Amino acid sequence: MALSLEHLSIALNGRTLIAPFSLVIQPGEIVTLMGPSGSGKSSLLSLIAGELELPFDATGEVDLDSKPLGGLAPEARNIGRLFQDDLLFPHLTAGQNLLFGMPRGPKREREAAMQAALQDAGLSGFAERAPHTLSGGERSRVALMRALLARPAAMLLDEPFNKLDASLRASLRGFVFAHLAARAIPCLLVTHDRADAPPGSRILTIGESGEIRDA
Amino acid sequence: MRQGLGLGPLILLWALPLLGSLGLALVPIGDGAAWAALFDHPQLRHGIALSLWSGTAATAAALICTLIIAAGLYRSRLWNRLQAFSAAGLALPHLAFAIGFALLIAPGGLLARLLAGGESPPQWVTAQDPLGLSLIVALTLKEIPFLLSLVWSGLARGDFAAGLDGQWRAARSLGHGPGSIWLRVVQPQVLRRLFWPILIVWVYGTTVVDMALVIGPTQPPTFAVVIWHDLNDADAASNARGAAGAIFLTLVLAGLIALSITAWRLALKLRQAFQTSGPSRLPVPRTAAAFVGAVTVCLYAVTFGLLLLMSFAPRWPYPLLWPEHLSAVAWSGLLANGSPLMLSLVLAAASAGAALVAVVLWFETQPERRDRWLLGLALAALGLPQVLVAAGQYRLFLDIDFTGTLAGLFLAHLTPVLAYVAVVLAGPYRALDPRYAAVARSLRAGPFHVWWRVKAPLLRGALAMAGAVGFSVSMVQFVPAQLIAAGRFATLPMEALTLSSGGNRALTAAYALALTLPPLLAFTMAGLAGRPRWR
Repeated sequence: MALSLEHLSIALNGRTLIAPFSLVIQPGEIVTLMGPSGSGKSSLLSLIAGELELPFDATGEVDLDSKPLGGLAPEARNIGRLFQDDLLFPHLTAGQNLLFGMPRGPKREREAAMQAALQDAGLSGFAERAPHTLSGGERSRVALMRALLARPAAMLLDEPFNKLDASLRASLRGFVFAHLAARAIPCLLVTHDRADAPPGSRILTIGESGEIRDA
Repeated sequence: MRQGLGLGPLILLWALPLLGSLGLALVPIGDGAAWAALFDHPQLRHGIALSLWSGTAATAAALICTLIIAAGLYRSRLWNRLQAFSAAGLALPHLAFAIGFALLIAPGGLLARLLAGGESPPQWVTAQDPLGLSLIVALTLKEIPFLLSLVWSGLARGDFAAGLDGQWRAARSLGHGPGSIWLRVVQPQVLRRLFWPILIVWVYGTTVVDMALVIGPTQPPTFAVVIWHDLNDADAASNARGAAGAIFLTLVLAGLIALSITAWRLALKLRQAFQTSGPSRLPVPRTAAAFVGAVTVCLYAVTFGLLLLMSFAPRWPYPLLWPEHLSAVAWSGLLANGSPLMLSLVLAAASAGAALVAVVLWFETQPERRDRWLLGLALAALGLPQVLVAAGQYRLFLDIDFTGTLAGLFLAHLTPVLAYVAVVLAGPYRALDPRYAAVARSLRAGPFHVWWRVKAPLLRGALAMAGAVGFSVSMVQFVPAQLIAAGRFATLPMEALTLSSGGNRALTAAYALALTLPPLLAFTMAGLAGRPRWR
């Protein structure tokens, strides 16, 4: 279940944002991509997720588990995402947010999986809570569990720790990386803070002319 | 001192008459004979059933059509044009639309000529059909632009729109297709804000008089029309029965609203199961949205196009598809008897102007926390059945000798006009950053100078739009105006309604259009005034 990017490049109005590059992320591996804001990191994630639209101009191919994703709608790609904001649906409870992306099946099994995920996240008893009554860290954990319960084959993390305060960041990083490792799925993390990268992982940077190389 | 002066016009001209009217509208509660007469009324049951049926069916149909259009167009390129379309639909007077639509579907109308043909009109029961179907269609078409503009502006609000955009992407990454996201994420959050507007639409539909007189059933009519005939009767006992009927209709609606709140909660519970049942690749209903949208636009276009053609067709015998000859004789007839047109224009300009001044004075002198009194009273004026408010106003103006006077007519128009102006203006006026005025004052500008040179230009678009809304609302006032005018004055809607039951189709069409053009012009001008100075 590897995520492989082949000769990807992105241009905007003739200007190169990301120069052609290739990358294979193995199951359970987290690759970190670093670059200043406006360098095209988020556009790259949108391209992989299938959401990059005009006026962006992209080439290359994304394969997941050796299957090309080109032309597939975002919802058909089986790629999970975490964003800078938790983006919990405000009209649903924490538990309903977790059920939202969970594949269809018997109600009892889905409920049990939801409760187990809450327990995993240290949020037992939070199922009926409205998102706005949760703290920032709690919301982030629900957002991660929601993404994982959709059983993605790969994950894209778009500066998910960016808006948390320093004390929360460290603990949430540990929480996220532990869960991703346990599920053995490939993961691309985009950030501008080197401290966000898991220790010992591969780190790439975006250069001034859009070239991507190992840091 | 300044605070008191600022309140004066609004209280004297609007709040006191309105409160007095509402109070007097409730007086017949104690009139036993009136209630006895009401419950003996042979048209009571059938009329109530017709009112509830037509209002409910029209509200449901309008809501469903609105949601189909919105679901199909959300996040498409057409979405941003939608506001202009619904604004155009809103600007067209519903009374004129009802008149045109009735002329279109009547047995001798264009539709019959196209479909039935023959030498003489078919035996159709289309306009004024006993089931109220034509009234339902007309009401539905009238409410679609209103609900659509509410959905659109609800979704366009800054931080809410940004939040939805993120939620949209998150939902797709969780395996949901666009149609599923609309149903499970966007629509629930929009509908939550639409509960009260939907109720207002429903109350309007179940209690409407002018449209029902043109296109609604007649034998028996809807209950609001039954009340209306009683209120217009010369006999005092009939008046009392009508006033009791207005209270009864209001009570029935209030009871149903309590019921509908319970039903709404239940529906929310059921919806939760649907929302969390898991990802689905449901596409958006593009074809259905295109169909519903096209039918809506076409019916509006055909209706008003037909009105225009008919107004220039003094002779257009059945079964010709095109008039025998075109002439402006109806229009010259309308202008020759120009006093209803002039009176309506003057009343509209005066009431819109007075409402703007009074409301701006309120905002300038009153703290924002008091706005809920103003807006609460405004919503009462707009949300309560028109026959109830008008019945009370009629009583009040009789007591103070205002019936049949220009002053009374002006106040009767001001009641809904000021309410609309306050509702439209409150948001933008209070949202203006107070620091602009503070900066101007620190530059030694006096209060009037600050308003004229800083606030008014910044609020130009909102003030112009509020003025246009007030003007248009005044142009189409029928129920209160007819009662207060007491036969001494005739405004355009009164004339148009009288004509619509007669045989002069060209003149009827000309009056319907005379009712349409000034509001359209006002909205166009307001739209131009509201354009940003720099892009």
